Amino acid sequence: MEPLIGMGVLALMGVAATIAGASEDLESDVGSQSNPNSQVQLAPQMMFPHRIYNKAVSGEPPSNALMSAIGGTGAVVLMSEFNLSPLFALVIGALIAACVHGTFAMTSTMGRAASQSRFKQPVYLDMIRSHTPVIIAYAFITTFCVLIISYMLNVVLGHPFPLPLLAFIWGITIGAIGSSTGDVHYGAEREFQQFEFGSGLNASNSGNIVRFAESGLRNGYDNSWFCAKFGGPVTGIAFGMTVFLGSWVTTVFDPAVSVSRGWLSVVAGIIIVFILIIWNRKIEVAARNAFGPYKEDKIEEEAAA
Amino acid sequence: MIDIAANLLWMFLIVIGGVLISWSVHFVPVGGAPAAMAQATGIGTGTVQLAAGAGLTGLISAGYMMNIVDNLPLILASGAVGAMIMISVTMIVGTWVYVYGVGCVPSSAKVKQDPITHDRQDLYVSQGTEGHGLPTVSYVSGVIGGALGGLGGSLVYYALLKVGMGVAEVNANMIGLVAIFAIGIFFVNAVIPSYNIGGTIEGFHDPKWKKWPKAVISSFVATIFCALVAVIAISQLGGL
Repeated sequence: MEPLIGMGVLALMGVAATIAGASEDLESDVGSQSNPNSQVQLAPQMMFPHRIYNKAVSGEPPSNALMSAIGGTGAVVLMSEFNLSPLFALVIGALIAACVHGTFAMTSTMGRAASQSRFKQPVYLDMIRSHTPVIIAYAFITTFCVLIISYMLNVVLGHPFPLPLLAFIWGITIGAIGSSTGDVHYGAEREFQQFEFGSGLNASNSGNIVRFAESGLRNGYDNSWFCAKFGGPVTGIAFGMTVFLGSWVTTVFDPAVSVSRGWLSVVAGIIIVFILIIWNRKIEVAARNAFGPYKEDKIEEEAAA
Repeated sequence: MIDIAANLLWMFLIVIGGVLISWSVHFVPVGGAPAAMAQATGIGTGTVQLAAGAGLTGLISAGYMMNIVDNLPLILASGAVGAMIMISVTMIVGTWVYVYGVGCVPSSAKVKQDPITHDRQDLYVSQGTEGHGLPTVSYVSGVIGGALGGLGGSLVYYALLKVGMGVAEVNANMIGLVAIFAIGIFFVNAVIPSYNIGGTIEGFHDPKWKKWPKAVISSFVATIFCALVAVIAISQLGGL
């Protein structure tokens, strides 16, 4: 393939991945999924009933993989059996997947809230009615973008894996990234804003999540509004970087030309990883110098005395 | 007719790959739910989730490479690099969130000094937490874990595809079947170390890391059975 066309396809995949990452994180914030949901689940048991959607269908990677695989399978069936144009097929596939996800989200939040009735946790039907369409919409965007990435990788870049399988793997990856990056912003910051910034979460405060908003009771919309400012976009950057850099090394140093080019792509990947290690170290040192105060150094005190 | 003896070499490679995956999971610094609340050092997700995310991204790279060249070291290296890129990008963005979004500095509660940078760690651990963020040693450990996981996943995929090549021409159906078996074997071997890790591990400096031989032996036994089933199934269904 022409290198320029390859780079163009790659850029488009990177953009789709960035959008997918952002919407994946916001979907898990508005519906509350993954690890931070353990606190939403715990709160009523600690006598803090709340008005936050409590879905957590499963861990984020399996739930996103399920969504993407359903979408991919639907799209392939429509394309091969009904000769539908790929654009329509991918849209309809993503729509089916989003509706399935909406069903799971609704049943899990109702089940969870109902099972906590002994802790006086109400089932807010209006909240479920208003939040579920938003969850479905975000799930649609995520699935559609993952399908675009998988389709391009399969059809344009000639990846041997079939489309549903690529969608499944990218679903696992996007879930792992969303759960590792953006969700921390929701779990460690948004849920516990009443405690001192930068102090982490003291184990004794577990379950004491913020339940009141600027006006009224806090719900999933408030959480996704806050996380859309930082957690969502950085998740998008993370998934975009993974898709882009992972394929960039083999597009620039094409192993089809010669095996030595293939080894150059490996070296380029290792250099990228080294740059990221150094970057992490720089942030670590800069943050330790800029933040504080920290615990007193007892050894130094004793030496001074 | 299924010829197990002819596939012994590939079964051996599958088992080696499984053992590598199992070992790799011990390197990945995961803090589970506590880390997502800045209550423990590591990435705020589950062991299996992150290891699988990285390893399967490596599988995509390895699958692409194997379609082009038939050079085992290059296929393994590209799988390892794909997984390393995914895990290092995830960890650097995780650091952004911990430092700029949550305001926590990276610190480890398991060691007093970072074995790589020799920085004091205990000073920066917030009260009531088991550390937070990703200090340099955890980051490097995660990169090693990603590399080993990608290597193991690619080795399993390579060996399974070679089993398939023995019975029929490579086609899209066979690649799909082989990749699903590779993913399945990956998950089996990513789950077994979870019992050692018990939710949180900081990396190779964590005392829990020393328990790896137990998981590796268990994975060795489990993967032998997986390899047997995979070889039988692919030999029968490979030409479908």
